[in-house]
Amino acid sequence: MPASTKRSGVLGFAGFMPVGVSLLLAMIMLLPLGSGVAGYAMPHLVMISCFYWLSSRPLLMPYGACFLLGLLLDLWVGVPLGVNIVSLLLTRLFVLNQLKHYRGKNRGVHWMVFTVMALSLFALSWLIMSVIEGSLLSLNAVFLQWLVTSFFYAPVAFVLGRLRRLML
Amino acid sequence: MQTTGQSTRLRRTGRGRDAFWLYMSLALALLALEIFGPGFPRQLRGYANDVAAPVLATLAGPIRAAQSGMERIAGVSDIYLENQILRDENGKLRQWREAAQRLIQENEQLRQILKVPQREIAPVATAHVIGVGGGAFERSVLINAGSGDGIAANLPVVDELGLVGRTIEVGYWTTRVLLISDLNSRVPVRLERTGDVAIAVGLNEPFMHLRFLAANSSVQVGDRIITSGHGGLFPPDVPVGQITEIIDDILKVRPLSALGSLDFVRVMDYRPLPPEVKQPIVEPNSAGRPQ
Repeated sequence: MPASTKRSGVLGFAGFMPVGVSLLLAMIMLLPLGSGVAGYAMPHLVMISCFYWLSSRPLLMPYGACFLLGLLLDLWVGVPLGVNIVSLLLTRLFVLNQLKHYRGKNRGVHWMVFTVMALSLFALSWLIMSVIEGSLLSLNAVFLQWLVTSFFYAPVAFVLGRLRRLML
Repeated sequence: MQTTGQSTRLRRTGRGRDAFWLYMSLALALLALEIFGPGFPRQLRGYANDVAAPVLATLAGPIRAAQSGMERIAGVSDIYLENQILRDENGKLRQWREAAQRLIQENEQLRQILKVPQREIAPVATAHVIGVGGGAFERSVLINAGSGDGIAANLPVVDELGLVGRTIEVGYWTTRVLLISDLNSRVPVRLERTGDVAIAVGLNEPFMHLRFLAANSSVQVGDRIITSGHGGLFPPDVPVGQITEIIDDILKVRPLSALGSLDFVRVMDYRPLPPEVKQPIVEPNSAGRPQ
């Protein structure tokens, strides 16, 4: 695709890539990767993907797409409907409000911002699930998933960056 | 020019805010339905899993091939030692087989004498685990068999080592199985050695807790836990776990089934409860009063 077309924002089907890639990552989150660790602490790849695309191409990941991704993730993962929808909608709200502070900064800053945001979102999800279950859930599993998700941000964002340069 | 740019930006921001509140309201309505209402129908969740199943099955193929390749490479160095262990184990197993065959025969004869009905439960389907679910909050797996294979909700699921869980959301091609380690799982069990009954409670952790065990029970580390059959959901005598730790009143149980690395599972055709009776049990008499 010529550079002028890319700049003008006319992307055609390539414009659906962020949502498509996030959908694929949602399915990868469901795969039985054959170890106990994977079952108990799979990184939240969709949160990583949404944060990355919203930080680099926010218009390609609108609220409707965040809602749809969250809905499908809730249905596929088997958690109460709304848990992941709220997380992804808040991810978009957070990035759009804070992007001006970290846009153009190095990857380490993006990683740090993601880690802090993910901590708040996992804490909120834990709170919602505790309300639904009617008792305070164990924090261990949530904390482990936050750690794994934060750790995986860098490699996943690197792959998404290569994809973005290739396609958009 | 700058004013036009600013107004466009403001309009966009306003539209974005409207969209956020619209979708957030929808999300909160769905959450309220889960908290206060009947929740999202399980049947629809089952069909949503059917949509993902072909992609999951396709993606799982190369991943499983890569995993088995890695395991083979890792296993080559230990092959001599493993062979030695397997030879020893084989000898012991031969002795056990002789004993087991003798006991089966004896058991069969006694059953016939006492007219005890058969307890073997046929499987509805043997299925492959194609997905794991729940994230940090729930413990469930997705299997590639559904109502098209005769599976219904609330059927027990086992692997070759013991109880895995029960079916909850049934689609046409796929079924979600709630694992016994899930927070919502309660399995009526008994200690194999003493026969004392209790409840094995899931915690969303790799281990479970044993609750409601009689205070005078002589439970020990290493005791095996099997299903008691109470409640009618699980058949009796299915291995569930083993006591690994006793700290005051807390009894930790390690599940015997390979919950972290499930591959093939068997859905058992166990429906001990009769279908719900539609007509009243007590027939009203001609005056309209129950007899």
